[in-house]
Amino acid sequence: MALDEPDSVAANRDDPADPSRRRLLAGLLTAYTASLIPWALAQPAPHADRGAFTALSAILVGRQALDAAQAGRLYDALAAAHPNFPADVQALLTLINERHIDPLQLQATLDGEHSPLAPLPRSIVGAWALGVVGSGEGARCVAYETALNAVIVADVLKPPTYAYGAYGSWTVKPNI
Amino acid sequence: MNASTRCFALLGLLVAASVHAADTPDAALLQRGQYLATAGDCVACHTAAGGKPYAGGLTVPTPIGNIISTNITPSTTAGIGSYTEPQFSDALRKGLRADGAHLYPAMPYTSYAQLTGDDVHALYAYFMHEVAPVDSKAAPTRLPFPFNLRLSMAAWNLLFLDSKPFTPDPAKGAAWNRGAYLVRGLAHCSTCHTPRNLLMAEQSSRELAGGAVGTWLAPNITSDANSGIGGWSEQELVDYLKLGHARGKAQAAGPMAEAVDHSLQYLEPADLRAIATYLKTVPAQHEPADTQAVDSWGAAFDGVADQRGTPLPDDAEQWSGAQLYDAHCASCHQPSGEGSFDGGLPPLFHNTATGRADTGNLVLVILEGIRWTNDSGVHMPGFAGDLSDRQIATLASYLTQRYGNPAAKVGVEQVRMLRAGGAPSHLVALARWAMVVAVMLILALIVLRRRRKRRRTSSGQV
Amino acid sequence: MSEQLSADIVVIGSGIIGALAARRLAQQGASVLILEAGPRLERARVVAAFRNSPIKGNWMAPYPPSPWAPHPIYAPKDNGYLKQAGPYPYPAEYIRAVGGTTWHWAAQAWRLVPNDVRIKSLYGVGVDWPLSYEELDPWYQEAEEILGVAGADDTGSPRQHPFPMAPVAEPWSMRRFRERLAPTYAVVANTVARNSRSYDGRPACVGNNSCQPICPVNAQYLGINAVEAAEAAGAKVVPNAVVYRIEHDARGRIAAVHYYAPDKSEHRVTGKQFILAANGIESPKLLLLSASDTYPNGLANRSGMVGRHLMDHPSTSLSFYADEELWLGRGPQSPSSINTLRDGAFRSRHAPYRLDFTNISQVLNVTNDLIKEGVYGAEFEKQLRWRAARQVNVKNVLEVLPNPDNRITLSAEKDAMGIPKPEAHYAIDDYTRRAAEVSKADFARIAELMGGTGLRYSADGQFANNQHITGTMSMGNDPASSVVDAFGRTHDHENLFICSTGVMPTAATMNSTLTGVALALRTAEHILPAKQLRTTTAHSDREASLA
Repeated sequence: MALDEPDSVAANRDDPADPSRRRLLAGLLTAYTASLIPWALAQPAPHADRGAFTALSAILVGRQALDAAQAGRLYDALAAAHPNFPADVQALLTLINERHIDPLQLQATLDGEHSPLAPLPRSIVGAWALGVVGSGEGARCVAYETALNAVIVADVLKPPTYAYGAYGSWTVKPNI
Repeated sequence: MNASTRCFALLGLLVAASVHAADTPDAALLQRGQYLATAGDCVACHTAAGGKPYAGGLTVPTPIGNIISTNITPSTTAGIGSYTEPQFSDALRKGLRADGAHLYPAMPYTSYAQLTGDDVHALYAYFMHEVAPVDSKAAPTRLPFPFNLRLSMAAWNLLFLDSKPFTPDPAKGAAWNRGAYLVRGLAHCSTCHTPRNLLMAEQSSRELAGGAVGTWLAPNITSDANSGIGGWSEQELVDYLKLGHARGKAQAAGPMAEAVDHSLQYLEPADLRAIATYLKTVPAQHEPADTQAVDSWGAAFDGVADQRGTPLPDDAEQWSGAQLYDAHCASCHQPSGEGSFDGGLPPLFHNTATGRADTGNLVLVILEGIRWTNDSGVHMPGFAGDLSDRQIATLASYLTQRYGNPAAKVGVEQVRMLRAGGAPSHLVALARWAMVVAVMLILALIVLRRRRKRRRTSSGQV
Repeated sequence: MSEQLSADIVVIGSGIIGALAARRLAQQGASVLILEAGPRLERARVVAAFRNSPIKGNWMAPYPPSPWAPHPIYAPKDNGYLKQAGPYPYPAEYIRAVGGTTWHWAAQAWRLVPNDVRIKSLYGVGVDWPLSYEELDPWYQEAEEILGVAGADDTGSPRQHPFPMAPVAEPWSMRRFRERLAPTYAVVANTVARNSRSYDGRPACVGNNSCQPICPVNAQYLGINAVEAAEAAGAKVVPNAVVYRIEHDARGRIAAVHYYAPDKSEHRVTGKQFILAANGIESPKLLLLSASDTYPNGLANRSGMVGRHLMDHPSTSLSFYADEELWLGRGPQSPSSINTLRDGAFRSRHAPYRLDFTNISQVLNVTNDLIKEGVYGAEFEKQLRWRAARQVNVKNVLEVLPNPDNRITLSAEKDAMGIPKPEAHYAIDDYTRRAAEVSKADFARIAELMGGTGLRYSADGQFANNQHITGTMSMGNDPASSVVDAFGRTHDHENLFICSTGVMPTAATMNSTLTGVALALRTAEHILPAKQLRTTTAHSDREASLA
């Protein structure tokens, strides 16, 4: 799978140049943050919280396309697990926006500053990448086959329990 | 080595070769006989599960009752060891036993009637010399009245047996003629794939338009683009016959898997290609229900993602189609029904299994699975022991709805009946009732034919 | 007390070992009753439970314990069932359910190497077994033909007859290990109860890469296959029957066993012969629980050895990144290993070991690492692919010597049914630790040959548990120092037999299941010899599968 190609899962393919969409997040983002977010992922006005979540998700997992249905499932689960989730998402997005934080430096920055938002990126990336929301006894699986860690390697591997192929098909060099 | 000694040596080799050939004059013939026996798939019916090859004893369920295959090893006490070649030929091509009794047309002698004398000769040589004699008789076939009267088959043959060997069509190519010879004759495709009339005779006007083998549907394999194999390339047909599956089209299951397993996979590539060539020309028979090609329905669909985070209901009878699919099917066919990378585990869309309006075979595959006896590894487990009638109906409906022909439905009662071995046949009762009519019809036909013959003879004198 | 059950043979425990002993006895015409503490499971539910599990790296998660027959659970939280008395933890994992723990094994079905049964004589350590490798050979063969074992001939365990099937097709990753480690190390196909062709009605492997926690397609042999075979042979299985006492008569013969149903109603089951096959922890627990005035230390325990000599195969490991893309996760989980260090003169100084390569998909571990490290943005995807393609792991499988201080006892704590919980006392001695140290040189050499970077050794002094519960009811010729004789009969009770990896006097370096099955088949033959022509039931199974 070429990294620059859109994901096979259906993304919200609205017109990125849609002015209403730009207006929606205009108050929130500067050019820096906007450069990290594919405009296609922004949500219609009634779901500003979800729009912010998807935008933050896109920054954190570095994907140009995210599945809308999956985003909905993850948002619902995360919001149920974390009481201040929508506000925290807005806050973190604002922080990244204001301080132009490189996603790769984000966790170290938050940890170093003992930010109350420090657990948030791990929750969100964990949800997208592992399909797991919550931790310990409260952990819940909300995605498996469509979790990003399956999708990202889907051209080479099947998620465990799914057959690779007919007997012996695994003997050859992976065709990347 | 000079030229003359080289010639001499060559001559010596030739002499040696011919002497060797004279020692076993039938080696090539026997080999051909074996090949023909494989092509005819004699072993399929004439060998019981776990039994000795060709010793018979397999129960073949038919709408008129169970027919038990006979011992065709060269045993003189239990098999056909005392048959002369003409007797062997009569059995094969006319359905006549050496003692004059009639065979039931479960033996495809109406197809084998097409065989050339040469091929019968090779088969005879093979059965007499290469097959190991087995001196145990299979249980006799006991059909209900009136089918227990083997003599009734004489009238049946009069009506339905065309005993002329195959005559090539000079207008067609060699491959077509070879294919026609195999399809109509030795491979006896029509035995299963041609629908039968009330008296269990193949309807020659609807050649290969689809028939029944026990509970299985032997599908339409005419050249119709929607109902048949009109949309298949010759290579896809060859793949199917050789491998038991053609990617993006269909998999052989049930009796067809057996035919591939025992017989078709061993045919020479040229013969398989010839069969494909011929099949592509069989007159199209369209079924109105097939509004598009049966192998063209459906697309990838992920019904599994929605299941995550939701525990399965305790009562498995209440599981949805997607939940049943997740638990029982997705491991091989994958969450979106797309099959494996290599296609070795087939996709469920673009697959006749889910695209056919008649869902019987889909249910049977879920019940019985697909299992080959060789080491190919082709092996889908059957779920008869794991899934209830209701679960299979729910699951199969999910499959046709999501991956196949959404108009094709599966009902609980249908599954129950197929699990039980099919609908009870009314044929015996019907036959008894119809017997009087049939006998009258036969008599009338005989009279008619005689008259016609007489008329033709007299007109010939003019 | 409700309706009384009775049978010629009563088997306690429905795991692969008990069920195959039951099958063989039922085939000889005995009436056989199998009592299983846990419930009946369905493969489809286990598969679904795994896919829905938030802790996919934990292979016990799809097997939640039943309240009446708990088993140890450590994640997300220790359920406190197997008490740890220390000094080193023995966090055994096992499943109390019809079919037992092999629901989630990796199907490694190894034989011993011949010298494993003579380490006292040859190397002055451990104990000798009361039987020879040659005596075991036909029973291994029978076990292998029932299970459908695929294997290579060059693993150090001689055999008289070929394996039922060829080794399972080698994954690309393992091929590269084999090619790049040669000639320094010989990497060979593992001996596994996994189909390399259709066998006995079960399909060939299709590479689901979830051998643990569940083979979704029935390509590897599980205890549930053994149970179904036992039932087909006429054995009856009573699930949810929690045996809490074995009752003896005045002569010391076993008269009955008592079990609780989940509602705690009490039931008594009588029989002529009894087989205890409830694994290496629950079996000694039950013997100790069955103490009486005549046997105050528990049944079969006049030697005081019941529960002692607890063993496993501790492992240390190395993870690193190979210098080429190997993509672990294509094909089965445990395909290959190095078997040349399983025996040698060094056994007088340190433990022997196998070196085992995993082919488990690294995607889950790599994802967890990336999240832990806070690798976000475009780098996340890039790193995920890079690491998942290159991360590999090699571990050792170390022998532990029998030590009477390592033992299972009854805890003062009780489970929900009021039955004392088992308690583990365990330590890892210097013999094993020295081998772990030695094997680090092998790890380093392997990493070097694979162009490894990012080497991560498991922490010094930390050992992973391999769930190969051995010892605890050791076999031997001397009733003063062993629990059962060479045929699995308890020294103290003429009609009580033990079929379990717990009877193995030493642990050697191989996964213990096949040896446990072979010994159990031998015990079954001893209880009720096979009728003429019936000794090769496995052969006839094989023929049927070929027909």
